[in-house]
Amino acid sequence: MNFKRDIPVRTYSGFALSALLVLTILTILLQSSVEKIERAGDKLLGINAQEGVANAVTSVVVYFRGFDTLGEIAVLFIAALGIGLMVSSHKSAQRHKEESNFILQTASKLLFPFITLFGVYVMIYGHLSPGGGFQGGVIIASGVLLLLISYQNFEVPHALITALETLAGISYVLIGLLGLWILDHFLGNFLPSDISDMGMLISGGIIPLIYIIVGVKVGSEMSMIVQNLIQRSDDE
Amino acid sequence: MSSIYFVALPLLFGFAVPLLTKLGKNGVAYTSTLMQAGLFILASTLLISTSWHVEIIAINPPLGISFVLNEASLFFVTLFTLLMMSFSFYYMGLRKTDPYENENKFFILINMLLASSIGLVLSSDIFNIYVFFEIAGISAYILSAYKKTPKALEAGIKYLLTGMIASVFLVFAIALIYIHLGSLNLAVLSEHFVTLPHDTKFLIGLLLFLGFGFKVEIFPLNFWVTDVYEGSSAPVDALFSAIVVKAYLFVFFHILYLFLPNSEYAAFLIYLGAISMLVAEIIALKQSDLKRVFAYSSLGQIGFIFSVMAAGSSEAVTAAFYIVLAHSLAKMMIFLSIASIEREHKSSQISTLTTLNSPFLKVIMVIAMLSLLGIPPPLGFTGKFLALKSFTVSGEFIVLAMIIVASLIESIYYFKITGALFAKGERREKLSLTFSQKGVFGILALALVVIGIAPWLISGFVHDASQVMLDSAAYLQTILGASK
Amino acid sequence: MMSSLLDWFIQPDVITAIVAFGSMGLFFVGLFGLLTQRHLIKIFISISLMEAAVFLYFLGTIFHRELTAPILGDGHTAFTGMNDPIPHAMILTAIVIGMALFALGVSFAIEYYKLTGRTDINKMKEMGE
Repeated sequence: MNFKRDIPVRTYSGFALSALLVLTILTILLQSSVEKIERAGDKLLGINAQEGVANAVTSVVVYFRGFDTLGEIAVLFIAALGIGLMVSSHKSAQRHKEESNFILQTASKLLFPFITLFGVYVMIYGHLSPGGGFQGGVIIASGVLLLLISYQNFEVPHALITALETLAGISYVLIGLLGLWILDHFLGNFLPSDISDMGMLISGGIIPLIYIIVGVKVGSEMSMIVQNLIQRSDDE
Repeated sequence: MSSIYFVALPLLFGFAVPLLTKLGKNGVAYTSTLMQAGLFILASTLLISTSWHVEIIAINPPLGISFVLNEASLFFVTLFTLLMMSFSFYYMGLRKTDPYENENKFFILINMLLASSIGLVLSSDIFNIYVFFEIAGISAYILSAYKKTPKALEAGIKYLLTGMIASVFLVFAIALIYIHLGSLNLAVLSEHFVTLPHDTKFLIGLLLFLGFGFKVEIFPLNFWVTDVYEGSSAPVDALFSAIVVKAYLFVFFHILYLFLPNSEYAAFLIYLGAISMLVAEIIALKQSDLKRVFAYSSLGQIGFIFSVMAAGSSEAVTAAFYIVLAHSLAKMMIFLSIASIEREHKSSQISTLTTLNSPFLKVIMVIAMLSLLGIPPPLGFTGKFLALKSFTVSGEFIVLAMIIVASLIESIYYFKITGALFAKGERREKLSLTFSQKGVFGILALALVVIGIAPWLISGFVHDASQVMLDSAAYLQTILGASK
Repeated sequence: MMSSLLDWFIQPDVITAIVAFGSMGLFFVGLFGLLTQRHLIKIFISISLMEAAVFLYFLGTIFHRELTAPILGDGHTAFTGMNDPIPHAMILTAIVIGMALFALGVSFAIEYYKLTGRTDINKMKEMGE
């Protein structure tokens, strides 16, 4: 009787290797003491008041590190592009074979406006309360996802979404270039941003404007990504 | 003249493409090529009036992000814009007979690749470098899988996986850097990095090495490269080999010179580069697919560049710049030739070369291979000679031997390829190249040969660039003193 | 006795140690998955786990209990005594980028599966010699 004992060599060696690596990292991390030094963020908090924005994280994301946010938008844009490219062969396929539940359909029809409203609120008030463009955009996209799941024939209007996305992307870079031409800093804050306006809806100069642009772009891109990933042909 | 245009314009173009499609079927293609030509002209005019130029974004450094345009980064910016412009002209010829599907998306991707490669070279903030790292990465992954054949998808998936792993390590490194040093600006970090306790420095260094190592294609982290090059289409390989990997190399050594000047790890890195070169050339001997052969050749050359830059002396870095220029030009020529061959013969095996009928392409490939080997008159000789000289002067004889052995091995398979090119036998129909394609090959070859014969044309600039790259004190002073 | 135990837990050094153990444990799970799993989607999930571990470590280590969130409201009128806003911005960016890559990876995997019917990474041997 010969049977081969199946020793999962791969599993054991993988376990050993990862344990070794993680333990090394862990020992070094535990030995290093984290001193309470003054970091760049603390210095930014000091000068943040000049911008007149109540949410310090927003002013960091949009203004002090606005260029990183521009890059992040570019990554999301390219990802949506890539996913659209990959899935483009199954455009006209039906999503599910059966209609979904009557309760789901009614409820989603009722909920969608509120979800969208909430998303827009989070977007617009991003500089006053926790939230912002990314968060609001994703909330709107989740509303769209709900509709996509409930209704077989629902499709996000392609032309509208592309127009919104293009407009938002161009505006972001143009605002940056305007900052370059007016203030000699790319993405400089050239709209009025008095400290006296702190807490008002219109405050902080370009910051709420950019966050709304970001929200529109993220919302439209996430909706497209979600639709592309759901839309597949079922007759494989 | 602000250096931000090099990044902002391709980015703006990418976002605006759906609008530009209104200009007709060729609108996007012509606008893109025109814009890239414009950027190259801009870079060339900046060459004449070089001085340090700091472009501040939003707020002053060290709290804000800034772009630093000095001789070293301008060298790379000019190189990238030249190469991308050449690629676009070649593609304008290619698209008359074989346009890519969804061509507008293709143009968005190559422009994003250009913007992020330039951004990597110009940026002086480590998190900003990470963001550009990701933009370049994601554009490359999609370009790799563009044709959507199983081979291309496999290449794309492998590229994506290694890229994601690299990202994780890089984010970990940046997190640790911020926790212990409290800043993200390269100048401030270079001042304080040496004050860290030894263990933390080791961990951060290791994580940075792992993070960049995959992309810099150094042994043993380059197992993914050849599969990706084989699965992607040849023009895309040209972009990867000539532009993308050079940007990552620059960033890696820029950070290395700033954080760890004259470090004890230099010797380790020099040997690692030499081993990488040797291993790549040995494996290249067995290959029969053109794209794989030249992918291994790229790995070898990049190992060579890595080794030379790790040496860190002024002569070594000058040599490295020459090698980078020669390698980028040569690989662009080679992979675009393979693209034409692939389009015509539907195969990229070495054996296909025996049926190739295009004297023009044969000359081009021979010039490029001469440059890669380091045989005069093309530019490769200058770079290799200076590199070998600097290793002799610094007494690294083992490395010298490894490089010479690797070059000999390289010559064996280049000989094989040249043999296939000029073999007697059945020839197919003549391969036709459009005017723009011939122009591109001609200009690239001309550049290689002319600068090779007369390196004094650019030697002053290259020498300044290498000085600047090693001069951390001046870098600190420029950034910390800049304010508008 | 309970309160003295809780007091010991609340010391910053102990909290940092707990954060390190926890996040590195998650990192270990992710790394193990990356090295041993063969299904494409599981590999992507493992990488996401590793990323999440890094973010947790970062946030946990840089957080100070006694300081408040970096936003005005609830009686705060000046930007003093607040936690650092930069890590939040960095992690926000990194999360979005990680998610974009994951979505892209999933779409690649779906397309590959449609074309070849395979999802096993060891069986992806279209090329190579």
